[in-house]
Amino acid sequence: MSKETKKPFRQSMTEWRQFIYNPNSGEFLGRTAKSWGLILLFYLVFYGFLAALFTFTMWVMLQTLSNDIPKYRDRISSPGLMISPKPDTALEFYFNKSDAQSYAEYVATLRKFLESYDDSKQSQNINCTPGRIFDQNDVAVKKACRFNLSELGQCSGKEDKTFGYSKGTPCVLVKVNRIIGLKPEGEPRIQCASKEAGMVEINYFPPEGLIDLMYFPYYGKSLHAHYLQPLVAVQLAINSNSTKEEIAIECKILGSPNLKNEDDRDKFLGRIAFKVQMTE
Amino acid sequence: MKSPFCSLSFSLSFGIQDDHRLSASELETKYGTSISEGLSSAKAAQVLARDGPNALTPPKATPEIVKFLKQMIGGFSILLWIGAVFSWISFGIQLAQGTVSFIDQLYLGVVLALVVILTGIFAYYQEAKSTNIMASFSKMIPQQALVIRDGEKKELPADQLVVGDIVEIKGGDRIPADIRLIFAQGCKVDNSSLTGESEPQSRSCDFTHENPLETKNIAFYSTTCVEGTATGIVINTGDRTIIGRIASLTSGVGNEKTPIAIEIEHFVYLVAGVAISIGVLFFIISVSMRYKILDSIIFLIGIIVANVPEGLLATVTVSLSLTAKRMAKKNCLVKNLEAVETLGSTSVICSDKTGTLTQNRMTVAHLWFDNQIYSADTSEDQTTQPFDQSSPSWTALSKIVTLCNRAEFRPGQENLPIMKRVVVGDASETALLKFAEVILGDVMNIRAQNKKVAEIPFNSTNKFQLSIHKTDDPNDERFLLVMKGAPERILERCSTIMINGKEEPLDSEKAEAFQTAYMELGGMGERVLGFCHLYLPENEFPDTYSFDTDSMNFPTSNLCFVGLLSMIDPPRSTVPDAVSKCRSAGIKVIMVTGDHPITAKAIAKSVGIISATSETVEDIAKRLNIPVEQVNWREATAAVVNGMELKDMSSQQLDEILCNHSEIVFARTSPQQKLIIVEGCQRQGAVVAVTGDGVNDSPALKKADIGIAMGIAGSDAAKNAADMVLLDDNFASIVTGVEEGRLIFDNLKKTIAYTLTKNIAELCPFLIYIIASIPLPIGTITILFIDLGTDIIPSVALAYEKAESDIMNRRPRNKRKDRLVNEQLAIYSYLQIGIMQSVGAFVTYFTVYAEQGFLPSTLLGVRVNWENNAINDFEDSYGQEWTKYQRTYLQWTGYTAFFVSITIQQVADLIIRKTRRNSIFQQGNKVIWVGIFSQIGIALILTYGLGHVTALNFTPLRFQYWFVAVPFAILIWVYDEVRKLFIRRYPGNHLHPIFLSKENITNFPISSLLLQAGGTRTCIIKTHPHHCLLPPYGDLLPLLTKPLLLECPVCAISSMGSPHDGVKEFHDYEKK
Repeated sequence: MSKETKKPFRQSMTEWRQFIYNPNSGEFLGRTAKSWGLILLFYLVFYGFLAALFTFTMWVMLQTLSNDIPKYRDRISSPGLMISPKPDTALEFYFNKSDAQSYAEYVATLRKFLESYDDSKQSQNINCTPGRIFDQNDVAVKKACRFNLSELGQCSGKEDKTFGYSKGTPCVLVKVNRIIGLKPEGEPRIQCASKEAGMVEINYFPPEGLIDLMYFPYYGKSLHAHYLQPLVAVQLAINSNSTKEEIAIECKILGSPNLKNEDDRDKFLGRIAFKVQMTE
Repeated sequence: MKSPFCSLSFSLSFGIQDDHRLSASELETKYGTSISEGLSSAKAAQVLARDGPNALTPPKATPEIVKFLKQMIGGFSILLWIGAVFSWISFGIQLAQGTVSFIDQLYLGVVLALVVILTGIFAYYQEAKSTNIMASFSKMIPQQALVIRDGEKKELPADQLVVGDIVEIKGGDRIPADIRLIFAQGCKVDNSSLTGESEPQSRSCDFTHENPLETKNIAFYSTTCVEGTATGIVINTGDRTIIGRIASLTSGVGNEKTPIAIEIEHFVYLVAGVAISIGVLFFIISVSMRYKILDSIIFLIGIIVANVPEGLLATVTVSLSLTAKRMAKKNCLVKNLEAVETLGSTSVICSDKTGTLTQNRMTVAHLWFDNQIYSADTSEDQTTQPFDQSSPSWTALSKIVTLCNRAEFRPGQENLPIMKRVVVGDASETALLKFAEVILGDVMNIRAQNKKVAEIPFNSTNKFQLSIHKTDDPNDERFLLVMKGAPERILERCSTIMINGKEEPLDSEKAEAFQTAYMELGGMGERVLGFCHLYLPENEFPDTYSFDTDSMNFPTSNLCFVGLLSMIDPPRSTVPDAVSKCRSAGIKVIMVTGDHPITAKAIAKSVGIISATSETVEDIAKRLNIPVEQVNWREATAAVVNGMELKDMSSQQLDEILCNHSEIVFARTSPQQKLIIVEGCQRQGAVVAVTGDGVNDSPALKKADIGIAMGIAGSDAAKNAADMVLLDDNFASIVTGVEEGRLIFDNLKKTIAYTLTKNIAELCPFLIYIIASIPLPIGTITILFIDLGTDIIPSVALAYEKAESDIMNRRPRNKRKDRLVNEQLAIYSYLQIGIMQSVGAFVTYFTVYAEQGFLPSTLLGVRVNWENNAINDFEDSYGQEWTKYQRTYLQWTGYTAFFVSITIQQVADLIIRKTRRNSIFQQGNKVIWVGIFSQIGIALILTYGLGHVTALNFTPLRFQYWFVAVPFAILIWVYDEVRKLFIRRYPGNHLHPIFLSKENITNFPISSLLLQAGGTRTCIIKTHPHHCLLPPYGDLLPLLTKPLLLECPVCAISSMGSPHDGVKEFHDYEKK
């Protein structure tokens, strides 16, 4: 009994039309142009004020920051490891040593990566004392230490333009993530191991995978523009009977007590795992 | 639509057959029984097997599982289920693709499902708890019945009775089934549980009326035999009895949706609409921005979760049950939680008279002796009577009152107050006994000293009661004859009248005075009794005289008239106040009673349902001395409608009455007519509350928006059908209930505004994440921790908020206009405060990232690489490289910072929501502090206590990040204070829609009432220094002085529920 009777369709249509534009009162969507204008003006001013406030607070906040080093570095106390070349999808290398096309991308990536290590680019860099932390705290202009490509031996791309991929001895470059102010202790070195023994023989350049302390610490992008992070090349000599098999390799940073390599959650903290599968 | 009432009387009369017309022997053959021998046990067992036990089938309750499932899919649950299913689907797809890294999705789905299930269980539990309160009211079957079977009298459980059984009943028994009486002696039944009329009705074995419901030879199941004895044949048992039919009719009347349920539904639709449209919009945007479908689905889930206030419905339930508890303390027991608010939106209360408005006991109200009317105290706890008792006439009258009375106190109640003692005797005699006891002291002792020697009890032919006593004066050997009865009959028997203790001849002048007094008392709706006495001459009636009441060997005429006493069931002392509260609250109180119109009107006047100045059509006719028909009934504000008239009315006529009179009394109505009245009120768009106690009230109670059963006098059926039970049967308790209901509606508004605001701060991160491709600022799980963690206690705390102004001085909310969530509230929360919160939270977010090395410029557009698991040398603004996990951990820190910022700003939101118009300096509420502390406490625990549980995505946060949003919180507060100042200072400004204050124009409080007697500058109700309100008294408008109007720049006009179009009249006046 309290049910409302349904309005005929035409009537509700007229009501809708009236609501969208009412010619009598000049109301558009239930408000006059003036009213809409006022509302619009209000929100314009309101949001304009908020935007200005946001910009202002952000500006104030940015003023408190230094250009050279971030305020806090506690979220990256220990560096991660990364490799080059880095396959797109996951850290898995698939190539055919007799098919140049299959590894062309890897080679190109390596070449590009090593461009900045070219001697011509390192003219400003100095030769530092090996084995010692290169502390430049007091110096205004921070110098970068020279990293000679020749240290990468067969993986430098100079003798073998295919970085060993055509010979079945592919090179993978391992690098340590840059972290401002990080000073490794001890004698940090990269060591890799295959899960199954005997499938692959691993060679390191520089020998034993040593990372020289002279490349530390890093002073940040703006102060340390020409900085080159040290590299360790890992050459995998895959046994001929292990081709067509997936070889899982894990590299870790060892020999330094303040570089972590066994975090439960972060699988890349001081270590990296990748797979290689070579066909002939 | 066909009225259920028509079908009621139809089906009832159809069911009774014509047993009342048959003779005893015809009945014997019809039911195969014998009046002397009864049924044989074998036959009885056979019939029992056929008809089933003589008991009512309990109403079908909704199965618990259905109730539970309703909670599981009701409200927002369905949206969350969709979210959960999407999560699982996306997890499934990822699983199939082999990228299991997104275990988060599985986990999120489980969390969402858990949220739904837990809130569902909570709501179900709350509801079950309030339903259980009612479990205590559920027995209404008579226990034993005295039956003749196999020629022997047996006590049987009443549910074993079958049709044809011969049962014997006596005073005090409950009638065990519908019975056709074949023998009755002085039998009276109380049919109040069936008809609501409390006057006992006599029963005999004569066929007196065609209608089986009216004839005297049928007694109905569940009614009570008050006195006498009777024997009858059972003609109907169980559900086939009249009561059984009514019970089944009741379950046929649908329960209307409660207003708050409608409001919440409206709110859910609104929020769900926003959630779905934003979700779909951004789904399309993200797909067209070349996001993967899978990602887009994940965004969709985030948007839904951000938009849905998960904790809100639980909060509403808690707030309602808190109010229900508070109301229970004030004697309103709420069965259905939502009824709490319904009561607040009530615009019409249809109230019973007896017991609800009145004390439900006859009390002496007036006396007339010595040619003068005296008023007696009728309050509930009277201990003395103030009228002048010095006249010797009073001494004589008091003696008659004391002696000519058969009522007695039950022994052993000496310590109880007189008014509370139980009396054996009828209502009038009880009233007289208590009256005498209050004034004279120990009545029983006085009676003992004036020994009764003869007595003629009251009967309907004589219409008097007489007794003869020895006096307590040892020097006076005369007998005293005392008599009371119907005044005109008593006067007939008198030749003298006592004036100031002296007998004077009863001349026509004195008879005239008597007549005037009698009419006056009768006109007040009171039951009047006359009293007279006679000292019998000592010589004719010596000490040893033997009085014979059969031959009446003593004089019964030429007596001396002493006085009149009139009695009424007086109104409860709290009721007039409650009625005037209703009046100022814009609630129309309609009295519906079975009583005589004159009595009803008198009570209505004395409690203010009919105000002192208003007139009915009859009053106008009397005043103008013209026939009733010539009166323009539109001039009368009050109306007393007789049930007989109502019977012949069409629904249009009823509508006209309901609509055109603001003060209405329905007298002589049957409980069934209540249903018609309720429906009539509902047609006017009113939210109707109805009180009831009889079984027959059940359909009306069910039909009403809120049915109120009486806790003391109410039958179980009424309690079952009602939404609320009044524990003290007091009308005033309804009004306190209304107050609580209005308060909770106001407070729920605040809760919802509070809850909705942060939705924007939860939603914006997703939108900006999609559009600007920044790292996700806040996670879905974190949002759930706000909605179901930090925000819950503050939302409930708002339910403790006191009223901002006198909520009983404004009109009931208009169901269609005053919504729980309206456009203004949503816009103000979403587009103003919500956006401010988002800005504050984003500042914190960018601060956290910038201080860790990611400047805002670096963050834009990084989403794809940022979330790539294979990139573990992601470079920040300073050239440092981050692994995926290091980034994720930073992202969680961002979540935590965002969470903390929202929490801090929600504190400001809570403070501003406390009041809608008043400054927070004007109003305190200690519970709010509990809310604020809990909010911050929970946030601290989550951040620092659980910061190491990876699954929760919280990380310990640097302490200073707690303060980044503080300036924004202060801004929010200042902004809102300015808004409040603005709406207080400039009411009615057209910018109001922006500032959440439209409702103040339609529904603002009345803070003071300048209604001065004399009528010079009347009728403006000042509501505020700048507000005023004109009541609908059109005739008073010309009395307004212009300066007074100028004091009120904005005048809104209320019509107080009357048909007057106040606004129009006001404009007309202004033109003049």
